[in-house]
Amino acid sequence: MTTTPLPARTAEAAPCCDEFARLSRRGLLTGGAALGATAVVGSAVITAATASAASAAAGKADSVLVVLSLRGAADGLSLVVPYSDPAYYRARPRIAIPKSTLLATDGTFGLHPELRPLLPLWTSGELAAVHATGLPAPNRSHFAAMEAIEDADPGSERRQGWLNRLVGQIPGSSPLQGFNLGGGVVPTSLFGPNPVMAAGDVDGVRFAGDDEWDEGGRLRSLHTLWDGQRGALGTAMRSAFDSVSDFEPVKATADNRTARSYPNSELGRALSQVARIVRGDVGVGVVTVDQGAWDMHTDVGTLEWGAMRRNAADLAASIAAFFTDLGSQRSKVTLVAFSEFGRRVAENDSWGLDHGYGNVMLLAGAGVKGGRYYGTMRPLEDGLDSDVAVTTDYRSVLSEVVTTRLGASRASVFPGFQPEDVGVMSSL
Amino acid sequence: MSPHPAPADVPAEATPERASRRALVTAAVGGAGAAAVLPAVAPDRAEAASYRPRRHRGTPLLGAADRHLVTRFSYGLTPGLTRAVRGAGGGRRWFERQLQAGQTDAATRALASWWPSLHYSPQKLWQRNIDEVEGGWEVMADYQRWLLLRRITTTRPVHELMTEFWMNHLNVPVHADAVFGYRFDYDRVVRARALGRFSELLKAAITHPAMGMYLSNAVSTKHHPNENLGRELLELHTVGRGNHYDEDDVKSSARILTGYRVDMWRTWEARYRPEDHWTGPVKVMGFEHRNADPDGRRVAEAYLDYLAHHPRTAQRIARKLAVKFVRDDPPQALVDTLARTYLRHDTAIVPVLRALVASRAFKASAGDKVRDPVEDLVATYRALGVRVTRPTRPVENPAAVAILWQSDSIGAVPHDWPRPDGAPIDNDSWSSPARLLASMDVHFTMSGRWWPNKGIAYREPVDWLPAPAVRFDVLVDHLCQQLLGRRSTSALLKACCQAARVGPATRIDREHGVVKWEFPRVLSTILDSPAHLTR
Repeated sequence: MTTTPLPARTAEAAPCCDEFARLSRRGLLTGGAALGATAVVGSAVITAATASAASAAAGKADSVLVVLSLRGAADGLSLVVPYSDPAYYRARPRIAIPKSTLLATDGTFGLHPELRPLLPLWTSGELAAVHATGLPAPNRSHFAAMEAIEDADPGSERRQGWLNRLVGQIPGSSPLQGFNLGGGVVPTSLFGPNPVMAAGDVDGVRFAGDDEWDEGGRLRSLHTLWDGQRGALGTAMRSAFDSVSDFEPVKATADNRTARSYPNSELGRALSQVARIVRGDVGVGVVTVDQGAWDMHTDVGTLEWGAMRRNAADLAASIAAFFTDLGSQRSKVTLVAFSEFGRRVAENDSWGLDHGYGNVMLLAGAGVKGGRYYGTMRPLEDGLDSDVAVTTDYRSVLSEVVTTRLGASRASVFPGFQPEDVGVMSSL
Repeated sequence: MSPHPAPADVPAEATPERASRRALVTAAVGGAGAAAVLPAVAPDRAEAASYRPRRHRGTPLLGAADRHLVTRFSYGLTPGLTRAVRGAGGGRRWFERQLQAGQTDAATRALASWWPSLHYSPQKLWQRNIDEVEGGWEVMADYQRWLLLRRITTTRPVHELMTEFWMNHLNVPVHADAVFGYRFDYDRVVRARALGRFSELLKAAITHPAMGMYLSNAVSTKHHPNENLGRELLELHTVGRGNHYDEDDVKSSARILTGYRVDMWRTWEARYRPEDHWTGPVKVMGFEHRNADPDGRRVAEAYLDYLAHHPRTAQRIARKLAVKFVRDDPPQALVDTLARTYLRHDTAIVPVLRALVASRAFKASAGDKVRDPVEDLVATYRALGVRVTRPTRPVENPAAVAILWQSDSIGAVPHDWPRPDGAPIDNDSWSSPARLLASMDVHFTMSGRWWPNKGIAYREPVDWLPAPAVRFDVLVDHLCQQLLGRRSTSALLKACCQAARVGPATRIDREHGVVKWEFPRVLSTILDSPAHLTR
């Protein structure tokens, strides 16, 4: 992937003056388009879009899907360990996770000990893992795999991410807006004709100079400069005009980063912002979070040191804090975490792992039939090039989530794809 | 900020703003639905007459073609740069001079001493890091500041731009693990070859310790060659993805590159270790070698030379240059021309740049590129004509330090894109509403001289007045010439009138509310315009 551009927006009549702008804004609101959001917090990117017109019009989204992309390809064999397979220990003489330290073991799999903060979710049946998932064909390029996974419409020339199709295809959905908290770029999954909006952080969703001394001249002047401007910038400015005031309820929410003990990490910060967006209850239905430090060619390390220990702890503490922070909105939210592909079975000479194939997906929250492991792992081989064989197409898992939680048609979200039953979600 | 008294000298009913609004409301009542949009045409024409730009007779500007060339190949047009271009005999001559090697850049030389740590050895930087004298990340943040200030002050913008372009193409993020000891040297190595041959640049960059540490080649061994750099070299730095290589090629690519080691976390010595080089036959696409010598440097150089000269590399470099300097969807004919030029000149970059600016597509592309966050920030410093002074210890957040936080607030900082593919260079990526809101925040804060407010000299509002007393429309024209290097337009005049709440004919002097209170609104209106946010 070379770029993660902001989706082009559908053409709409450019407001010719402030009255028209207000008219059209009101029109949009009554028509039901509320907010979606994208946020960037450091290297973590959050993107969101509204769920459906009906829920947005009522100021509520009944379901929120949070897609957490573990960029760089997280090692699923460290996060969810197939400890009953001796090949796993042969292939990783230095970095394998000892069986005695694993959590939530079921005879086949166990969780990395640093995932301990997630145990309450596991025990209450709100957290599940699906192993040996992935693309239908191996691809060891980060960039090619990310594109394939985020577009998920093989063979189509059309550049539209699966989440963009999702928000566009939910029945009754009207043109969407979105948010980009942080000013970075939006992932391919949300690229497409449905609009999104963006800002530096939740509190940064404002026009500088549109203040108490201004008497409206600032916004009038910006409309004069930008209304009718073509191209990506003009489109982005229109999204900003149409969305800033509607975002006020989110800005009014408390920032619970300290109160809910989020880790002081990119992911912790990002998920605390997502929680504010959800708690603001402005109709956001889909949120994506990109977090990017999983490409461990070196120094995966052990339980005492290394990158995996640190990342696993951060991941678990961030997700745990997030679900606590959601409060009354918790029953709406489903989180799915996955990577573009997995890593090799065998460790390399640098205490690291090169690019592989099959991987684990984690699902947490509303609708998840948790407390157990799904998917089939074929016996591992311990050669230098051995991969985890993919036995479940990742789209089968996502199909279940979007159909059960968001009532979306899987044919429109994943065109031409015939999913298999995974059984990880309870039907609505 | 102080409260703004409403200007007393504007008869409310007479402002074109209100007149047009009335016209629209009336029309909208009569019509229905989409028809409400139509009457906008008439008021627009009426307004164009009301907001006819007036001319301020200032110093000579550049013509449209030269303005385009210089805007695209600099970090922002200023009155000083306009003078330099005119002094050189016009845009093309100025550009040709910019391409010459060995030009001095006196303006940036002074910056060399602002951050002494940039010049320390990897060993010394590591020692200071573990002694907690100065963290490696702090050195890298200062390096980013050094880059920002170079871009603001340089008199060799084409060389600076190409250095940035290549460092983004061959990305080694400054905050990647362990690279801080070698990252400034990586800059030096790329900078010295930025207007040379790509083949030489590629060899120097791929075998550099900073790249080796970032993409794991510095710890690769013959027993288990690490594939990270070998893969990205093909996928990102040269031929690109496609069906022309497979996983066996990636393995050979990784094997060829074994041997370039860094003794990380210990001595930090960077050295070629034949005992770590994988020997045996290798094959990557059309490149084959027996690779029998434990010293694999010759095969590595031959391999990198092969990749640099590959037609697919030529296409990719040509397209990337065209996307950066022409438009996001450059015509294939242009890309082909540039690729041919690149190959015909043994991967030399200067002839490619000459062909690019001579092309019809380039000439027709004025204003078609969005300034990314860093370009916007640098251009804003240049447009406002601020002077940044050397940071001194007890001063907290002087401009030379704070500029990096400003850059971060808009969504990007120099060379810290966290992935090997480098930061995007297309318009869509940098056109999020988030980025626009953040850009406007920086414009407004600097227009008001509110922050940064230490280690920086701003022009006072009265310094922007071209005469003791001047009509507002003339003032706006003067400001557009100063900030944008071009004359005001009807839209800019109207927007400034709305922001300052005065009419075009209002007489402005140092005692007027516009100078005393509203000046930040006027300056930031110009900086928020499409003309400043594009290049």
